[in-house]
Order: sequence, then structure tokens, then C-alpha cells
Amino acid sequence: MALPAKLTPEKLYRACDPQEFSFRTTAELDGHVNATGQKRAIDAITFSMGIRHDGFNLFALGPNGTGKQSAIMHFLDGIAPNAPIPSDWCYVNNFEKPRNPKALKLPAGKGTTLSRDMQHLVEALFTVIPAAFSSEEYQVQEKDIREKFQEQQGEAIGELEKNAAENNIALIRTPAGFAFAPIRNNEVLKPEEFMQLKQEERDAIDVEITRLKTAMQSILAQIPKWQRETQEKLKELNRNIASFAVKPLVAELRNSYEPLPEVIAYLDTLENDVIENFDKFLEKEPDQRELFPGMAPDRFLQGGSSFNRYRVNVIVDNSRSEGAPVVYEDKPACYNLVGDIEHISQMGTLVTDFTLIKQGALHRANGGYLLIDARRLLMEPLAYEALKKALRTRHIRIESLAQLYSLVSTVSLEPEPIPLDVKVILLGERSLYYLLTLYDPDFTELFKVAADFEDELPVNSDGKLFYANIISSIAKKDTLLHFDKGAVARVVEHGSRLAEDSTKLTAHLQSICDLVHEAEFYAASAKKESVEAGDVQHAIDARTLRASRIREKIREATLKNQILIDTVSEKTGQINALSIYSPGGQSFGHPGKITAKVGLGKGEVIDIEREVEMGGPIHSKGVMILSGFLGARFGIDQPLSLTASLVFEQSYSGVEGDSASSAELYALLSAISGAPIRQWFAVTGSVNQNGEVQAIGGVNEKIEGFFDLCQARGLTGKEGVLIPVSNVENLMLRSDVVEAARNNLFSVFPVSHVDEGIEILTGIPAGEPDTNGNYPPDTINGMAVARLREMAEKIRQFNNSSSDNEE
Amino acid sequence: MRNNLIRHIAVALDCSPHSLASLNAAAELARRMHADLTGIFVEDLNLLRMAALPCSHEIRIYTDEPEKIDLLQLERSLKRQAREAESALQHIAKEFMVEHSFRVCRGMVPAEVILAAHEADLLVLGRSGRSPSCRKGLGSTAKKALAEGKRPLLLMRTGFAAKEWPVLVLYDGSTGSQQALSTALSLAEPGTLHVLILGETPEEAMLMEQELSATITRPETVIEYHRLPLHDGKTLARYIRMADSGLLVLSDRMRLPIETVHTLINEIDYPVLLV
Repeated sequence: MALPAKLTPEKLYRACDPQEFSFRTTAELDGHVNATGQKRAIDAITFSMGIRHDGFNLFALGPNGTGKQSAIMHFLDGIAPNAPIPSDWCYVNNFEKPRNPKALKLPAGKGTTLSRDMQHLVEALFTVIPAAFSSEEYQVQEKDIREKFQEQQGEAIGELEKNAAENNIALIRTPAGFAFAPIRNNEVLKPEEFMQLKQEERDAIDVEITRLKTAMQSILAQIPKWQRETQEKLKELNRNIASFAVKPLVAELRNSYEPLPEVIAYLDTLENDVIENFDKFLEKEPDQRELFPGMAPDRFLQGGSSFNRYRVNVIVDNSRSEGAPVVYEDKPACYNLVGDIEHISQMGTLVTDFTLIKQGALHRANGGYLLIDARRLLMEPLAYEALKKALRTRHIRIESLAQLYSLVSTVSLEPEPIPLDVKVILLGERSLYYLLTLYDPDFTELFKVAADFEDELPVNSDGKLFYANIISSIAKKDTLLHFDKGAVARVVEHGSRLAEDSTKLTAHLQSICDLVHEAEFYAASAKKESVEAGDVQHAIDARTLRASRIREKIREATLKNQILIDTVSEKTGQINALSIYSPGGQSFGHPGKITAKVGLGKGEVIDIEREVEMGGPIHSKGVMILSGFLGARFGIDQPLSLTASLVFEQSYSGVEGDSASSAELYALLSAISGAPIRQWFAVTGSVNQNGEVQAIGGVNEKIEGFFDLCQARGLTGKEGVLIPVSNVENLMLRSDVVEAARNNLFSVFPVSHVDEGIEILTGIPAGEPDTNGNYPPDTINGMAVARLREMAEKIRQFNNSSSDNEE
Repeated sequence: MRNNLIRHIAVALDCSPHSLASLNAAAELARRMHADLTGIFVEDLNLLRMAALPCSHEIRIYTDEPEKIDLLQLERSLKRQAREAESALQHIAKEFMVEHSFRVCRGMVPAEVILAAHEADLLVLGRSGRSPSCRKGLGSTAKKALAEGKRPLLLMRTGFAAKEWPVLVLYDGSTGSQQALSTALSLAEPGTLHVLILGETPEEAMLMEQELSATITRPETVIEYHRLPLHDGKTLARYIRMADSGLLVLSDRMRLPIETVHTLINEIDYPVLLV
């Protein structure tokens, strides 16, 4: 078998040539950022925004920082200004049912006009109504009505009084009513005088007084009726006068809003209400704040609380809008989405009215587009349900959460729902999208379009220019130093490194943005005119250094042999496996020692990590695959009479992943065959039951981890790593690693099969079976077969002797 | 009515709306003239006598059957009314910062009021009191005060505040009308005074106006002159109603017959100051 050659330095790192760029610095670029490499997502966005049917809302999925929001905003910036400006919405008092404020739809800009007009109307009413009621005409009419009542009453009683007087009887006003008494010379008879009268005279007086009393009672019975009639007349007069004062003002407004029947209907009810409550405009209301110092300010300034009923609460004001609104709701709490009904405290009681209805993001975005971060939405209690309800019913219904859950018991409102026409765009990670799709049946109904953003961009001229423009736009937006072409090239290379693929660039633009800021900081500190490649490298190194404490500690322990990693000798059943650590946001690689031991047994491979429950399921699966490989290769003609145990030495935390499974197989083959492994090599890659080596992640960090250790101990030229051949494209190694490879001090071998790997590691060929299936004896496989046969024989002999002893 | 002549003002109180208006007017005048104020409440002897009669029954607006009047209860009611009247007086006197006293007497109301106000320099009465028929004309006390020549006499009614009242004075050149004019000038300062000049002929009225214009110089008072032929009381009453100018100041020692003056006072429904 031909062994794979070590990789050339060019394969270890794909450099970006600054000469590919036509600009000198990014200052020459316009900084225009389009959605390069996101065609699939942009097509989805275009479709979703274009289709006006229900449920075609958008979920933009992809990792955070990949520019989903920027791409969507950029797209909307292109279409929203050309869309029609949506209507204004106002809440006004429902005079018939104050608990259900009315929603008024007005053309854009008319909401504030109506609000201002109503304010002016109330101000005018304060002048016009008192003027009408203090007019001579009103005073005379009112006086007439009151006097008529007095006259009516006076005439009836006066007639009776006169009638009584003719019979020498006086009508006298008592503290609580009336009474009749006989008189003489205008004085009531003294009791003794009365008693001196003849019996007939007294009887006649009694009869007369009884008659008069009956007549008086009849008159008094009429008085409440006369009072009612008088009140009715006064009411009618007041109504007529108020109506005369109010109608011209309202008619003027009615003319202004003639094409709007809803407003006209509102003005009609308002006119009636003002007429009914004209007296409120007659007296200057006392300043409630003086009476009650704890009262909320502002609500009692102009016109006082009674006149809130005539105000207009402009919920949506599009007077300054250009096109359809694009709203990003940063805190998508329920009350921020659908609005809220606020309360104010008055004398220890919570009260509210329609002027305290607060708009939500759905109101602002109505007729346009609403962007929400899906994670934040789901973390806010009931917000997601409220959003779905609004989208499903196509109405914004404001409900107070506190009321809904009976957290407060006070007067509240049920405002008229407002029709909703909005495109909602949720931004979130893929996992959220898949979870919602799986568990929420409503979700797929309401968010029918998914814009799946790529994690990576191809490394081509478009991708590189995209990066350059990103840098240019950041520099312009944040007034930073611009980057020269060398610095841009270095950023592009780092983009490939972050993408873990030399043919790709990361789409995680937040990382690039951070790098740009950090590099600019170093360039500015050094008082440079532009950022150079060295500054970018400085920023990368500094970032690595900042996160290097744990890595340094592990390396230090290794160099002190507290962690035993052999990079010099050859050992049987022992190998250096490359593992990766990810504390916080930074990853780094470090070799770990795997040992394998064999003994007589029944063909089991014992994974010690799994036995002590420190191995994850993928790792355990990888070890079981080894049993399959060994069985297929060596257990066809004879039983595998061994027990092998595998362990990650000095591992004190869990092990997960199958990237060490090839290393474990090499250690097993070495242990079975007895061939020692060269410890100056380290290995990574997973393996299948056929022995094919498969790709793994974090290949760059793993190689660099082993390189750093070897370099610390002194490179001899023998050191190197074995990686899966399919990971070659992922290589974007550090410059010192590439330099060492160039100087033949460090090697990277791409391996496609364990047979290639074992030969590199032991210097002994793996061996291929002849036509009878026998391996040559001086090969790894041959040595392994011989050892297994020997072990099988020992077991057979042991079993025989055991049987003899039993007999 | 010169200030130095008014030192004591008497006001009749019976808790009726007119009497409360009287109290306000009296207090305002007392403040202006640095006079003291005496409230007079009369326990009506007619009422008390009636209560003692076997045939006396009280008819109430909101009660079906007339009820026998209880003398003790009536006494209590009168005392309560007296307390209320005194309380109103105290309140007003405090507000206007005037000296005050209160007197309760028992007897026939008109006679007792006149008697109690004997030492007062000005008697203030409601045009009508707690009369059964809510009549527009004068009540019995006012009529008696008018008839018995108690002067000066202020007859008040509700709806007029003494503080800001416009004043109309009748002037016909007589001594009485000159005194009325002098009083009206002191009351209308500062403010507007309407002088209604009554002349036998237009020329005479014009002449009187010229004389008055030449002699009266009050920078803080706006004086408006009106002229009317000296006619009977009814025409005059119509004119006064049309002018609607508040307090009417006049004298019953004018060229107009005294009966005409009294009829006029009885007919017009305005406060009247008779000097």
C-alpha cells in the first residue's frame, strides 16, 4: 500500500493575495453591503414580503451574528419607502359605552389633526357655552320659566288665601308647611277667644278650615308636577341654548372630516354629549392637584379630568412616515407588542380611561413590517401567544395581562380591536425554528416561509469583496481607520479559519466586526494612518492570548510531566490522540494519551470511560465500532479470545465525540500485535467498521495544540499529526505551524484508512491478506492474527485442563 | 344717606331667601359705612296662637294627611330657626368684619321688626318673607315699614349682590330726590350710576341734567343720565324693568305722589332703597 505523503505548506493554509484587491484601502469602497452568498434566504424573503396572503410571515433562521437582521433591513429599505403609507389610528371615548373605547381610522397625518381640532373645540366650548348661558336672552328665558312656576304656585295659593280671608281665616306658613287659622283684625284668635265663640261658629270655622285644607292639599299635590314641568322646560331651554352654541363649532369640524363617516358619527355623538353636559363648561374646574396632592400630573392641566372624554388618543401617527413602517421590537413583551392599558393612582385607587391606552409594536408596524427576535419573544410570558392571536384573528386586541389573570381588580377597558395587516419577521437560531415546527401546530400556519441563512460564504472574489465592503461600512459608520488591502486579506484568511474551511468564509459577521474594531484599536494606538495586516494579526494573537490561561496551565502541567504525554519514544498500546477543549468562546487543542491493554477473554473491547459513565454516547458508539472492525478483520476464522480495555489517561472529566476512535483503534492494533507506536505522532479522526478514517471538527486547533507542545519541547523534524484526508480542506493553520512544515520540522499526514495510519505510526505495513485470507507474518495484521491465535490456543488449553479437573 | 348718619343697621331675619339677601346687603353696607349690624328674629305670635287652637292642622307638601300642630315642636322649630339666623349673621359678620348683635323677640312680626329697629339708622328687610303664596309684591312687614315711614329703608330681594350692584336713582329736583341722589352717589362709587331725571317737560328734564352735570364731579363714578316725563308709577315701573339696573334709590318725598311711589315699590321686583 502506498503511504500518503505529508501535506505541503500550501495545503496547510490558503493565503489570500492582497493583490487581488483593486483598492488601496477600504476608504475607496462605498461600503455598500449586499447579501452576498445568501441567495436562498433572499429569495425566501422576496417571496414572503411579496405575497399578501395570510400566514406568509417569515422566520429568518441562522446562527446569531450572521447578518440576518441587516440583510432583511437592507431588503426592506428597498421596498418599504415605495409602499403606501398606512392609516393613522386613534382611540376616542365611546360615549354610550365608556368601557369600550372606539377605534377611529384616519388617513395618515389626520390623527394628530383631529386631536388638535378636538383640543381647540374644547377650548372654544369654554368660551362659547358660558357666553351663551350668560346672555340676556338665556337669563330672561330662564327667569320667565322660574317665575312662571312661582306665579303658578303663588296664584293658586294666593287665590286660596284670598278665599280664606273672606271668611276671616288666614293661611299661615309654618316651619314645615301651611296651616289655616281664624283671625280677627289680622291676628289669629287666642285660644280663649276661640273657645268663647258659639259652638255653631266654631263648627262653621272647622268646616271652613277643613274645606280649605282639602283645597290646599289639592294645590300642594300639583306642586311636584309643576316642579317637574319647570325642570323639563329648563332642561329643554338649556339643551336648546347649548345646542345653538355647540352646533356651529361641530358643524365646522364635520365639514373638515366629511369623507370620513366614522369621524362624522363620532362627532355626532360628541355633540350630543357636550349638549347633555353643557354645565361642565360653565364653571372653571378646581385644580384637583391642589385638592389632592398625590394625584398624577398632566391629566388635570387643560380642561381638567372631565374633558378627557373629548380628547383623542392618537395610537398610530403616520404624519411623518414615508412608506410602510419597518419596526424592530427590541423587547417583545406582551404589552410592548399588542399595547397596554395603563392605570394611574388616584387617592389610592387605580383608574383608567381611553387616554391611557398605550400603543404596541403591532400598532406601529400595522401596514408594514415587524421584526422580532424569536428567542426574546419566547422568553417573554404570553408574548408569543398574543402575537399568534393577533396574526390569526388579524386584529390587535389590547388586553391587560393583570386583568386577564386577575392580578389586579379595578376598572378596566375593552378597546375596540384594530384590524391588523402586517408582515412579521422572526429572527432566530435554527434550533428554535425546528422546535417550533415540531411542537407548535400554529407556527407552520402563521410562519409559512423560512429564510435559511448560510453559515458560510464561498471564498471567491465576491466573497472577498463582500468582506472588504463590510470593513469599509464599519469603518465609515463607527469612524474608524480604514484597512489597507493587506489587512483585508488577513481578515479574509481569518474568516476562512473561523469557517474551518479554506474554501469558505464565515458568515458570522459579528466576529468579523469585533476583529475589525480590535485591529483598528491597535492601529490607532500605534498612530497609523490605516490598519495593516500586522494589526489584524496582533488582534487575533491578543484575543488568543486573552483566552489562553487554561491552555497554558494544561501545557505547563504537560511540560512538567504532571500530565504524561510522550513525544519521544515508541510504546506499545499507547498513542497521542488530539482532543479539543472549548471553555467559554475560545477553543484550543491538546493531545491526550490513550492506552490499550489486552488479555484473554471473549472478544470484548471494554471502554473504561463508558464503564465509569464518563463517556458520552457518541464516544461509546465509536468504541463499539472498533469491536465490529476487529471482529470483521480477525474473528472470521477463529474466535477473538481477548479482552481489550481502552482508556483516556488522566482524563478527569467527560469524554464525548468519536474523533478519537481511529487513535483508539491504532492503540488496540498496537496492543494486539505488539508493534510499538511512535509517540512523536498524534492522531485524530473517526473510523467506521471498514477502517475508513472519517472527518472530524476542530482540526486546526487540534494540530496546533500538538504542535505547541512539541515546539515547547523542541522540534526534531520527526513530529507530526495524522488527520483524515477529508479534513484537508479545513486546514487554515497558524503561520508558525506552516513555517515549521515548510522547514520540515513538522508534518501533517492525510490518512484515508487505518491501514495507512498504522504503517505511519509503527513503520510496519498493515499487511494485506493473500488469496487464502492469510496475512504476511511481518505485518501488523499478521502479527495480530498470530497473537490472537496464540491467545485462542491458550484459552482452549485452559478450558481442556479445567474440564479434566472437573472430571 | 351720608356715612356719618348710619351707625346702626338693623336687618330682619327669618331664614327666607330674601332675608339672607338682606343680610348680605346689610353687611356690605355696614362694612362700607363702618356701622354695626343687628339681626332681628321674631317668633311669630300668630303661629304660636294657631298652634294652641284645637282646629289647627299643618298641611305639608310631601305628606298625605294634615297633622295636628304640636306647640312644643313648634317652639323647638322657632328656636332652631333663630339659631340658624344667628349663625348666618355670625358667619356674614365675620366675613365682612363688622360688629354685630342678635336679638330674638316674640310678637306680631311686622310690629316687632319695626319696634326692634327703632334705634337703627337703617332698616334692611326682604321684600317678602316666608309668605305662603311666594308673592311677588311686598310682604306684610315691608308694607308696614313702608307705611309707617321708617327711613331709610332697604328692601332686598334674592339675585342681587350688594357688592357689585349698579344703581338707578330717581331725580326730579325735589329735596327728597336730592337726598336720594346723594345716597346713590355714595353707593355707586366706584361704579356706574344711572340717574333717571323726571321732568314735567323735556326742557325741564334737560335743564336738570345740565345742572347735575355741572355740579357732580366724581372721577371714579360713571354717571349716565336718562330722562323721562313725569308720569304715573306704572309707566315708571315699566321703564325701570326695561333698564334692569339693579338697586333703585328713591325718596317718597318727591314730586311724585307718595301713593305712586309706594305702588312703584310694590310692583317692581328690584331691591329698593327708600331715603
